[in-house]
Amino acid sequence: MLAQALEHLVAGIVEHPDDVTVRTRQQRRGQLLQVHVHPDDLGKVIGRGGRTATAFRTVVSALADDNVRIDFVDVDER
Amino acid sequence: MSEAESKSGADESAETVGSVDLRLLEREGDIAADYLEGLLDIADLDGDIDMDVENDRAMVSVVGDGLDSLVGTDGKVLDALQDLTRLAVWRETGERTRLMLDIGGYRSRRKGELVELAKRAVETVRASGESESLGAMTPFERKIVHDAVAEAGLRSESEGVEPRRYVVVMPA
Repeated sequence: MLAQALEHLVAGIVEHPDDVTVRTRQQRRGQLLQVHVHPDDLGKVIGRGGRTATAFRTVVSALADDNVRIDFVDVDER
Repeated sequence: MSEAESKSGADESAETVGSVDLRLLEREGDIAADYLEGLLDIADLDGDIDMDVENDRAMVSVVGDGLDSLVGTDGKVLDALQDLTRLAVWRETGERTRLMLDIGGYRSRRKGELVELAKRAVETVRASGESESLGAMTPFERKIVHDAVAEAGLRSESEGVEPRRYVVVMPA
């Protein structure tokens, strides 16, 4: 559910919504959600001073029971 | 075409609130509602979405019980979701929006509390003749306090640096 919610939130604000994918990795200290976006959209999902990335983290953490980490990467870095 | 349809049709394109295009504000509300409904569906949360135009802004409210998680401590989650919703609107319209989001009635309750707080500060300042500083608030909250103080006939200013900026109520 978290990955799907995050994908919806990210896809709704970027110029290339079809390029958005979210992968979930289980880590010892909780889940890691890895958000892949089109290279042109990376600045937009991070935002000035990381403000937008923080907003995604705040909303997703509110929906999560456990600790969640979110990383943003562009689709070229796989 | 029924009368109702003709009213919401071409005639309305010329209708403006001050300098603001009402149709743009309604469109902003629709885009925001789609974005938020998608999130509610995925998160399996129940909420109805109301749309309104208030003070030349689109106002979108998610109404329902069990939405506390989307409000968060001091409305932090709500503010984050409002930022994201504004970005979603911006992508579709190409225009910056001042859209306000409310969830579970948080902002309207908070507004009532802030107006009461402002009234009490005005009484204190009137009695003492000295300025009084209030606690740190967001820009939206400060605006509510400034308006309430002005309504009561006193002056106020904001001091300090974000996010610790606060209102000072001053004697007449």
